[in-house]
Amino acid sequence: MAFQSKQSMTSSHDRTDAAQGIEGVLLANRDRIIRFLEVRGAGDAAEDLFQDLWMRLTDRRTGPIAEPLSYVMRAANNLMLDRYRSARQSELRDKAWGEASAQHSPSTEASLISREQLALVETAIAAIGERPARIFRRFRVDGIHQRDIANELGVSLSTVEADLRKVYATLTAIRRQFDAG
Amino acid sequence: MQADATNAAAEARAIDWLIRQRDPDFADWDGFSDWLSEDSGHAAIYDAIASFDQDLDALPRTPAAPGMPLRGEQPRRPSRRAWFGGAIAAAFVGVIGVSSLGLFGDPNRIETAAGEHRTVTLADGSRIEINGGSVVEVDKDRPRFARLESGEAMFHVVHREGDPFVVEAGANRIVDLGTAFNVVRRARQTSVAVSEGVVLYNPDRDNVRVVAGKGLDARDDDNNAPAVKDVDIASVGGWRTGLLVYNGTPLSVVAEDLKRTAGMQVSIAPEAADLSFRGALIVDNDRGRTIADLAALSGTKAERQGDGWILTR
Repeated sequence: MAFQSKQSMTSSHDRTDAAQGIEGVLLANRDRIIRFLEVRGAGDAAEDLFQDLWMRLTDRRTGPIAEPLSYVMRAANNLMLDRYRSARQSELRDKAWGEASAQHSPSTEASLISREQLALVETAIAAIGERPARIFRRFRVDGIHQRDIANELGVSLSTVEADLRKVYATLTAIRRQFDAG
Repeated sequence: MQADATNAAAEARAIDWLIRQRDPDFADWDGFSDWLSEDSGHAAIYDAIASFDQDLDALPRTPAAPGMPLRGEQPRRPSRRAWFGGAIAAAFVGVIGVSSLGLFGDPNRIETAAGEHRTVTLADGSRIEINGGSVVEVDKDRPRFARLESGEAMFHVVHREGDPFVVEAGANRIVDLGTAFNVVRRARQTSVAVSEGVVLYNPDRDNVRVVAGKGLDARDDDNNAPAVKDVDIASVGGWRTGLLVYNGTPLSVVAEDLKRTAGMQVSIAPEAADLSFRGALIVDNDRGRTIADLAALSGTKAERQGDGWILTR
């Protein structure tokens, strides 16, 4: 999962006592995590999803983790996003079923947008302007920190933030178009 | 409209969270949790945007060299027309021979209603794409001439050595040297943006040379030659596909463009008249969405007013 590799980038921070482990964090913060799952859209299913999260996190061997609570919360957030995406996928599958009963993989890794749509996204990003498009690419595609992008381009951090917001606002408008279509 | 404005605000917050959470050190999960609990709709808004963001993992890693993202990639643009589908519901794009224009009264005068788009092909193969709310005059006896009386048009000119194509806008003349360019004629102002080739602006007076990727805004009462500025080639004539891109443009001008391009009535309250707008605007099927985006990105509030909207501060 994506968050695993991200987490390894922060491993220079304080290490957790291995004995405490991820299970200890899950237990100690059970109420907090369940509340998060509830407001994150799980509603009454939050308790069940806490079990899912437990399975996900205790199943796999991970090295020592800095900020284990953040790690768990991020995992909970990703769990909810995965659920949203697989629900969207079956929705799209049901829609397409009448037209052509193509086989879709139920994987959450699959993309929900087509190549044509991705090309439109690229066009729209380029159309916003050279600097915002470049900043967005460095941030979203190359995974560079905002502060490093600011240094690299010789602009202020607030310019980087404003450009990112601008690009994302446009992308949100485009997403609605895809949805409406 | 109220709901739209609220949604736009929630979307902006969701975007902020998403951007912050991309930082691996992000730790404010309680703050995120608080925001989600403010409104039961927030989770769905966040999911929709975060899910779309995840799909962007498929964006190619190596970016195109900046400044030349779109030239020579023509097939992409027309395909966007399919995406907008009925976005420009009133628009119809057809090829009309000049001779058949007699149906519309003066055979040399082409007038479009707000939101109506029309393409005219001239005898020499040059094409004029005319935005809504515009008047273009052509002349049977002068095949290499067109006059933009008012409004906006994109010219795709077939180059002929020694026989330049001339576009008149107000008292100004734009002389092509084999090009595609967009011209807007507003009250007492002419704007030119070039996406291919070169044009000369008022060769016998200002003689300003405008190459691809450049443009100019000239006021009728300004006696100096207008300054050439950079424009984004990808967004020249963006009205044709419903993507309007601005870089510090007064809201009143944006409102004019929306009227022409989509037939939308947008007025700007006096206290918001000085605001300028940066960003890309999509002419949405749901016009309320376009207005909500404009309001959110310009820091104004949108309210319905008659058949249209008013932006206030």
